[in-house]
Amino acid sequence: LGPGQSIQQTYDLTRYLEHQLRTLAGTYLNYLGPPFNEPDFNPPRLARAERVPSATVDLDLWRGLTDNARLAANYRAYSRLLCYLRVLDGQVGTAELRHRLAHFCASLQGLVLSIGGVMSSLGYPLPAGPPAPPGAPLASNDFLKKMDDFWLLKELQTWLWRSAKDFNRLKKRVPPAVVTLRLEARGF
Amino acid sequence: LVQSCGHIIPESPVLALGSNFTALCILNESCLDFGNIYASQIIWKIKNRVVPKEQYREINRTVSSVTFNDTSSLATPLTCNILADGEFEQNIYGITVTVGLPPEKPKNLSCIVYQTSQLACPMTCTWNPGRHTFLDTQFRLKYRWARESFPDCIPTDVNNSCTIPDVHFFVNLEIWVEAANALGKAESDPLVLDPIDIVKPLSPHNLSVNSEILPTVLKLSWENRISDTVMKLKFNIRYRITGDTNWMEIPSEDTASPRTSFSVQGLRPYTEYVFSIRCMKEDGVGYWSDWSEEETGITIEDK
Repeated sequence: LGPGQSIQQTYDLTRYLEHQLRTLAGTYLNYLGPPFNEPDFNPPRLARAERVPSATVDLDLWRGLTDNARLAANYRAYSRLLCYLRVLDGQVGTAELRHRLAHFCASLQGLVLSIGGVMSSLGYPLPAGPPAPPGAPLASNDFLKKMDDFWLLKELQTWLWRSAKDFNRLKKRVPPAVVTLRLEARGF
Repeated sequence: LVQSCGHIIPESPVLALGSNFTALCILNESCLDFGNIYASQIIWKIKNRVVPKEQYREINRTVSSVTFNDTSSLATPLTCNILADGEFEQNIYGITVTVGLPPEKPKNLSCIVYQTSQLACPMTCTWNPGRHTFLDTQFRLKYRWARESFPDCIPTDVNNSCTIPDVHFFVNLEIWVEAANALGKAESDPLVLDPIDIVKPLSPHNLSVNSEILPTVLKLSWENRISDTVMKLKFNIRYRITGDTNWMEIPSEDTASPRTSFSVQGLRPYTEYVFSIRCMKEDGVGYWSDWSEEETGITIEDK
């Protein structure tokens, strides 16, 4: 795939994941039960939640990043979010939800690969090393465990929302022809 | 006594049709002295038919070989027998012989994603398995992303089709078929595609037809069964007068964008019409859905 196609495909995939997560998160929060599935439930962010890559960023800083840095940040974030999601996937009680989580995890793995594909097509190196494993100790009680799950889904939704905008902007700023010239200039 | 007096190599071979084949019958030394039997007394048989002696060769006192220039004449069992004391024939050993062909390269691999519900999109791939091999031949549909493999899809009951239960859109997938049997392995050319480009969506449903203020217009409304986020759709709408057999179709350029309704104009007043609609991906890449269930509507009278 050329860069333009690769970025378009990654953008489509991000929107598709957003769409999937919207219904999946609703189902999962219902599975967690009250208060997690109540619309106005808006808990403070606990220190525990820090292990999940926070989607809250300074927008000016974020926009000021180079394309390479921003793509790398997305790549690292989804790699780590995928690790946490796979932990979640293994504990769910209902077969239907487990199946949908597994499908979503595979699609998210596809997103990590796609972002990697975009970076390669633009001549950027992939971030080194595997993502840091979810190192924090397991939640000491059921409520904290559910809070972890709640924050994971919330952050993931925000990451996907912002990544879609990132790729949409990138798609417009990087027409295929220009990128090919830039790569050839660097002897690729 | 005689039964354990020798054996044949190779044991139960699988042979390519039309190739040549040589088997050896090896007598046990212990039997030679005691049983008074020698390799020169060996008689080779296919089923109960004696193999012509010209195909034998006495290798030494204990070993006789038989050669077939074309395995097409071979069958099971191939036996090594001895004429004990020149009188009665006794079987020494026997092998099963399987003759067949290596698999050909599977061809014409093609795949379609049949949307079956809002969430489920299985992908069915079909291929031409090639000639009959006369052997137990395993086919596997293999597929992977750039740096991620998936479990093979193993066909059940057929050898030319397999369905992958869950595909993922917007990531290019490499797909190919592998055929393997005892005589070899062959792989099809790979297909590289994004599953979103080979979707046959479910047809629109809940089609309703309502009359409008004008007597020559009917308004159609329906529900699409695939989200806009996944796929933007275009449509074909066809209609006929009830009782008539000829369908008329709305020009495709008029319905070439996402929508859930359309007003059909230029109809006859006070007339019942039958409508049906189908959809496909807006950019025309993929497959048309089936036609929806038909729905009727009547234009109002021209006052």
